[in-house]
Amino acid sequence: MRTWRWLGVNEAKVGEALLMDTEEKIITVPEGSRNSLVVVYRRESHGQLKIRLEEGAELSLTRVQLLPGDALHAGSVEAVVAAGARFHYTAVEAGGAASVTKLTVDLQGDESAADVAALYLGDGQRSIDMNYLIRQQGKNTTADMQVRGALLGESRKIFRGTLDFLRGAKGSQGHENEEVVLLSPKVRNRSVPLMLSGEDDVDGHHAVSVGKMDENKLFYLMSRGLDLAEARRLVVEAAFNPVLERVPDQALREEIDEYIKGRLSHD
Amino acid sequence: MEKKKTFVEDIERTLYDIKNEDRPVYKTQQGLTEDIIRDISRQKHDPDWMLQFRLKSLDVYNHTPMPTWGPDLSELNMDEIVTYVKPDAKMTGNWKDVPEDIKDTFDRLGIPEAEKKSLAGVGAQYDSEVVYHSIQESLVKQGVVYTDMETALVEHEDLVKEYFMKLVPPKDHKFVALHGAVWSGGSFVYVPEGVQVKIPLQSYFRLNSPGAGQFEHTLIIVEKGASLHFIEGCSAPKYNVTNLHAGCVELYVKEGARLRYSTIENWSRNMMNLNTKRALVEKDGIIEWVSGSFGSHVSMLYPCSILHGENARCEFTGVTFASKGQHLDTGASVIHAAPHTSANISTRTISKAGGIAAYRSAVKVTPDAHHAKCSVNCESLMLDDISRSDTLPVMDIQGDEADIGHEAKIGRISDEAVFYLMSRGISEDEARAMIVRGFVEPIAKELPLEYAVEMNNLVNIELEGTMG
Repeated sequence: MRTWRWLGVNEAKVGEALLMDTEEKIITVPEGSRNSLVVVYRRESHGQLKIRLEEGAELSLTRVQLLPGDALHAGSVEAVVAAGARFHYTAVEAGGAASVTKLTVDLQGDESAADVAALYLGDGQRSIDMNYLIRQQGKNTTADMQVRGALLGESRKIFRGTLDFLRGAKGSQGHENEEVVLLSPKVRNRSVPLMLSGEDDVDGHHAVSVGKMDENKLFYLMSRGLDLAEARRLVVEAAFNPVLERVPDQALREEIDEYIKGRLSHD
Repeated sequence: MEKKKTFVEDIERTLYDIKNEDRPVYKTQQGLTEDIIRDISRQKHDPDWMLQFRLKSLDVYNHTPMPTWGPDLSELNMDEIVTYVKPDAKMTGNWKDVPEDIKDTFDRLGIPEAEKKSLAGVGAQYDSEVVYHSIQESLVKQGVVYTDMETALVEHEDLVKEYFMKLVPPKDHKFVALHGAVWSGGSFVYVPEGVQVKIPLQSYFRLNSPGAGQFEHTLIIVEKGASLHFIEGCSAPKYNVTNLHAGCVELYVKEGARLRYSTIENWSRNMMNLNTKRALVEKDGIIEWVSGSFGSHVSMLYPCSILHGENARCEFTGVTFASKGQHLDTGASVIHAAPHTSANISTRTISKAGGIAAYRSAVKVTPDAHHAKCSVNCESLMLDDISRSDTLPVMDIQGDEADIGHEAKIGRISDEAVFYLMSRGISEDEARAMIVRGFVEPIAKELPLEYAVEMNNLVNIELEGTMG
């Protein structure tokens, strides 16, 4: 694994040789190749990633943000996906005092695909602003966006998830799902799942569900001897798991686990 | 297997497009000036407080910018709209006394017939004034008031003054301010405590004059424990000039009361429909909206329910059908402002032939509204690839005791569903027809039979197999 330091990114580990145009700061994933890129933010920073996937290429991008509680963060990821290429994106938005992040994926080529999984954790006075957009242009493209969040303390969050079917994207499918668990009476949750379509031959579906922790689950765990705090932590971890298990780096996954545990036990 | 396209014929409009000669007894000048407002107020014999209200609203209108979102409203030129057209008819309670051509119009639309068969009261508005109003004697005896706004302003002035444009104040947006300045006609309904109005009341608004605006105001108060079903219909013939509808509906549902508000909107394709509807629901009250949007060139319509008292509830069922030349931006909004409130929003949209159907909603839960429950379900059917269907919902939730769910789907008629029905011996054409009828059925079944029939007529389905 190579380690890069650029683009305001604190640390980036990349699997194979990725082509990077340092002038434009665009990463190109060569035709037919498979690659992974892990980007971690641990200090106040603003990062921008521009990625181009050539035909048949595949990239797994994991972007983790574990900033200290007083830091500000702004970041964006733009990916343009050519025919047959696949873009896997995993995001962890857990740190900072305020974070504003944007993801834009252009599924330009036929049969291209994007699969996005993100988790966010708000507590204290944090504010989280996420704007994710998947534009489906090619034929038979597939988009999947799964977002899991937990809000504690007096945190505020807005998640805008847009699936945009352009005319001509025949046979495309797009799915978006956000699940938010509310853990404190003072939080503010805003969800804006947008679905736009100029093409009839598509299958689009989105869903959002917002609520308290399932009381039955809580009761069950407590009846097994866990106290409220531990039970809560377990439920939140279970909600986050589908996202966390996509993080390829074992050490990083443990780091995130510890970070989240610590934050949940503070509350 | 060739993919066949479904051809859904345009809504049958001949009936609605019949124009009467435009010979009003009075018409204001085009445009919007203080003089015109004073003119309208004078024509209507407004009390002074109403004149002042109109003038203040005009001021708000002049200082409010156009909305920065939604459909393109640039075609609307207020300098060319005639805001007040007084028809050559005095309001009467007997169809025989309504002038021939006006009566014919309502006859063709089936209003007198419906009244005989299935309504307890009818209000018919032609251009800017109500020409016919009736209410069953039995309801009057129970203290139910159903009259036009102008009469209400005279006979129930205090009541009107207490409620008029308090729920939808002129400052809300530009077209509410416009409404406040030039409103005319509309219905006032008052249902006293405990009275159950078992048969629906209906108001029908017909705009005949070209280049005119209709600004009717509907104010309904349903007192504690009472119930009412109110039906609103509207149409206008098509002209080449723009017509404007900026009406306002204010619904007050008191403790334990229940109000069902059904609308079939079928304005012509030159109409800008910028209507505002809002309900305030108190403790244990229920508001049910049934909304069919089929007409107009541009629509912006988002009935809003404010769940103000504990356990208040809202049910919203709507269908929007956007065809060629139409941009229909509709939806619903709910504000949960008390504990244990609940809402259910279910909408269907269809778009074809270049039409744009947008669904826009807002669900807001305030910090004190613990145990709020809301479920939003929106399905969009697209019939070709030259139309648009956009879903734009927003949820803004505070507190941790809310249970909110939202779901939306976009797609076309499923080939599998068609195949399944065909395998059961049904022809392809009929299979597609069944599917589209089934798609709008949740709305049709909420309407009284006659209106469900009318709605199905509006969605006249004709199938044609075209190559791919």
